[in-house]
Parts: sequence; C-alpha cells; structure tokens
Amino acid sequence: MTLILGIESSCDDTAIAVVNTDRTILSNRVFSQSDLHADFGGIVPEIAARAHAERLDIVAEAALTEAGVALGDIDLVAVTSGPGLIGGVLSGVMFAKGMAAGADIPLIGVNHLAGHALTPRLTDGLEFPYLMLLVSGGHCQFLAVTGPDEFTRMGGTIDDAPGEAFDKTARLLGLSQPGGPLVQAEAESGDPKRFAFPRPLMDRPGFDMSFSGLKTALRRARDKIVEEKGGITRQDRADLCASFQQAVADVLRKKTARALTAFAAEHGATTIAVAGGVAANTAVRAGLQQAARDAGFTFTAPPLKLCTDNGAMIAWAGWERYRLGQSDDMTLAARPRWPLDKTAAPMLGSGKRGAKA
Amino acid sequence: MLAHAREEMSKGQAERLMPMLSDVSDGFAVDALAVCTGPGNFTGIRIAVAAARGLALSRGIPAVGVSALDSLAPLQGEALVVADARQGRLYSQLFRDGQAVNAPDMLEIDEIAQAAPQCWHIVGHRAEEVAERLASTDWREAPHADLAAIARLAAERIAAGTVERPAPLYLRPADAAVPSEAPPTLLP
Repeated sequence: MTLILGIESSCDDTAIAVVNTDRTILSNRVFSQSDLHADFGGIVPEIAARAHAERLDIVAEAALTEAGVALGDIDLVAVTSGPGLIGGVLSGVMFAKGMAAGADIPLIGVNHLAGHALTPRLTDGLEFPYLMLLVSGGHCQFLAVTGPDEFTRMGGTIDDAPGEAFDKTARLLGLSQPGGPLVQAEAESGDPKRFAFPRPLMDRPGFDMSFSGLKTALRRARDKIVEEKGGITRQDRADLCASFQQAVADVLRKKTARALTAFAAEHGATTIAVAGGVAANTAVRAGLQQAARDAGFTFTAPPLKLCTDNGAMIAWAGWERYRLGQSDDMTLAARPRWPLDKTAAPMLGSGKRGAKA
Repeated sequence: MLAHAREEMSKGQAERLMPMLSDVSDGFAVDALAVCTGPGNFTGIRIAVAAARGLALSRGIPAVGVSALDSLAPLQGEALVVADARQGRLYSQLFRDGQAVNAPDMLEIDEIAQAAPQCWHIVGHRAEEVAERLASTDWREAPHADLAAIARLAAERIAAGTVERPAPLYLRPADAAVPSEAPPTLLP
C-alpha cells in the first residue's frame, strides 16, 4: 500500500486529501473560502493567501484523521506548485515542505492543471490517450492527454474563462457568488432565445474560444431593460441567465465537436473527459455529451467533488509523476504561471511572468 | 546560540528557507520551533509561518509565533520599538520591562513623534531618526528582528503554557475593494 497526501491551495479552497495508489480516496477535505470573498464580488488574492496560511495544518489534521492514518503512514507529499494565485501556492508549497522534511517523506510539486487533466485516471482508470476539456473559473482549454506528463493544448479561451463569465453575469444581475449554480437555477425558468447573445469565434477554424464579449453583450441587454423600466423583473433576469447560458453551452458544444474530430483523426475516437466547475452546469454538460455521442466518443466527468479544486487530484497527479521516477527537493519553487503544454505558442498572458496558457 | 544563519535576499526565500534550516539544525534534536510573525513583508512572513506549521505538525512539536517588535523590546526599562513598514511608514509599539504597553500600530514617522512619550528609549529601524523627532539621545539602531530573543520568548511562552498556532501579524487589512457598481433594482 502506498499513501499520498495531496495539498491544493492555488485559488480559494484549502484542500487536502489522502489517496491510496490503488485509486481509493481515504479522505478529501475542502475548506472553502467563499464566505471570505463574498462581499467583494470575486476572489481577493491577499485574503485568499492569508486564509490558506492559517488553515493548511488544520485541514491536514482533519484529512489524516478522516483517513484514519498517521503522517508516518504517508509515503509521498504532493503539492500544487502552480499555476495559480501565488500567495496561496507559496503557502501550500512551504507547508508541504515542512510536512515532508519533518516526517522525512519524499516531496513532489504538481501542476494544478495536470491534477485536473489526470483526474479521470483516478476516478475511472482511464487509459491514454484521451481528450480533456478543462472548463472552470480560471481555465478553459482542450488538451490531448497522451501520457502522465504529455499534454498537447489544442486550443482554449483567448480571454475570460467561462466560469469567470458566469460569475460576472451573476454580479451584473445581483446574484451572489459563486455565480455558476445561481445562474443555472435562474436559467431554468428563463427563455434561452429571448436575447441573441454572440457566439464569438464560431466562424473561425480551430478550437479557440472567447467569452469576454458575451458579458459585455449581457451588460448592454441589462442596461437597455433598466433604461426602459427602471429595473429588471424576475423574468428578465431568468431570460438573461438562460440566454447567456445557452450561448456558453453552444460555443463549448460546437468547439468540442471540432476538437473531437481533430483528436480522432490523430488518436482515434476514444474518450472525452471534462473537469472544472463549469462541467457541472447541466446545459453545458448536455451539449458536451451530445457532441461526444455524435463523434463516437465515450463521455466521462468526475463527480463534482473531484471536478472542482481538491487535494485528491493533486495526490494522484503527484503519484503519476513519482512513479516515473520524478520528485522534488526542498528548493521546489512556486510558479504563478505554468502552461501544461511546454511547446505550444503562448495564447494568454505574457511579460516577465510568462504565458498563462 | 548554538548555530545561526542569515542571508540577505529580496526574493527566493521560499527556495532557500528549508535548506538553511536543515544546515542550522543539523545535529540538534529540536524540541520546539519559534517563528517571526512580522510585521513586515506579507509574503515572507507567510513563507516562514506556513513552513513552521508544517514542521510542527509533522514533528509533533510546538511552533510559536513571536513578533519582530517583541523580539527587539529590552528586558528592562521603557522602550519604543520601531520596524520598517515601507512607504516611509513604521510599525511601532511601546514596551515596559519587555511587556507590551499598547497594541502594535503602523504610523507615519510624524505620528510616532506625537504618540510616544519623549523620555523613552528607542530601538529598531530608523531609530536615530525617530529619536531626533522626540529630542531623545537614547536610541539603538536594529534593522532586523532578534532571532535569539525570538527563540527565548518562544521558550518562555511554552513554559507558561500560552502557545497558539503561529499567525502572521499583518497590521493592515488586505487590499480589497467592495464593488462600486450596485446591482439593478429587482422589479416586482
């Protein structure tokens, strides 16, 4: 038996899990910070960093207790060492170093995106190669996954991530955060055809997407209603949410269909796996499932607890690296930016911090 | 003091801290950890506090946080302790016989001059400058926290049974603004 402690603190969840290499998850604790950020309409990096630094040990104790193991039983400490909000990543990396050094256990740094991308191997024992759509509040990309350390980015968003667009939509309509579930709930009683929101880049070849124009269109539609009536009715809000959600789902479905065709041409029709909080949206998921059926792919999505940020995926991805003979020492650095595909041309972000994706 | 190391660096603390700790503590059975909780650079303090918490948990030993201002307070007499808060400001706190008299605060140098009793001894960053404003000749420049004092104070707190998990001493709120735009009115 080999046990891995996985530590994740790159965004607004302090998450630690104990995972057995036979794919059993012994514990998976997540200490959410959403209450701390609620008043600010988004995640405040300094608030996140402060909370992580003072919660990591508490969450680790809870994860070990729930798993019923002592630290001495742990064989590997895996930690997200990027990309993400640097204050949180740094706190996690330093805490992991303390744990590993104090208990004399090997340490391994994990790319947060690799954690998401390898999750289907933890949950379903999926074999390589497969197509991964990572769609969350911070990321949106298609990855051809051909090995534990082999990711080819086929395309992705050139501006906002869809989760960000859901959050902004919620903010513009007076709904609270995180916006995804609330926008979906509103959309259930709304008319998805009332507002003709744009489907950007749909006429262009390739798999790149854009979501920032969508929120501008939503704002304009909202402002127009406010100008006419002095506010918005519940039905207006539901219709705005439904029309917005439909636009996101359409873009993701059509771009996914294209990515599936291209992936199949190179690797054959295998499996498409999705991860990230937006994959939990029922309209988005229905569209992706349809695209998978049409292309003859199997569709898989990890359960929501393993789709959003968690420590189990970091533990697993750490194991995938470790069994290839890789590990890190006490000089492991935290990286705010760290594209999974080292060869692809930068798509998003540049300057001294480097490409974001 | 049995062993000691200090390296000046503006970045890279996260990569150097553990190797330095390993070198300094090599050959000793350490019974407790003391960590400076600031006030100072937020990122730097978090690096040390997070590592100390991880080590404390894995070793099953206590970790104790001690402020840089506490570490500079003289054991006898009255003192105004100051530390660099950047942008021309100072962290400051008054002590009597090593015990804090007030809560630490972040002030402009001119505000310190108004707030502090003139007769007190001044210790810390820019101590000479502060002393000039207070017309005092009794000052001692100390650019850094006192590591030996941090260890000694931690040992005293462990002996007294007053140990909590170390937490950074920020003294200023996180830089965050509540959104200015109000949501639309919801019509009935």
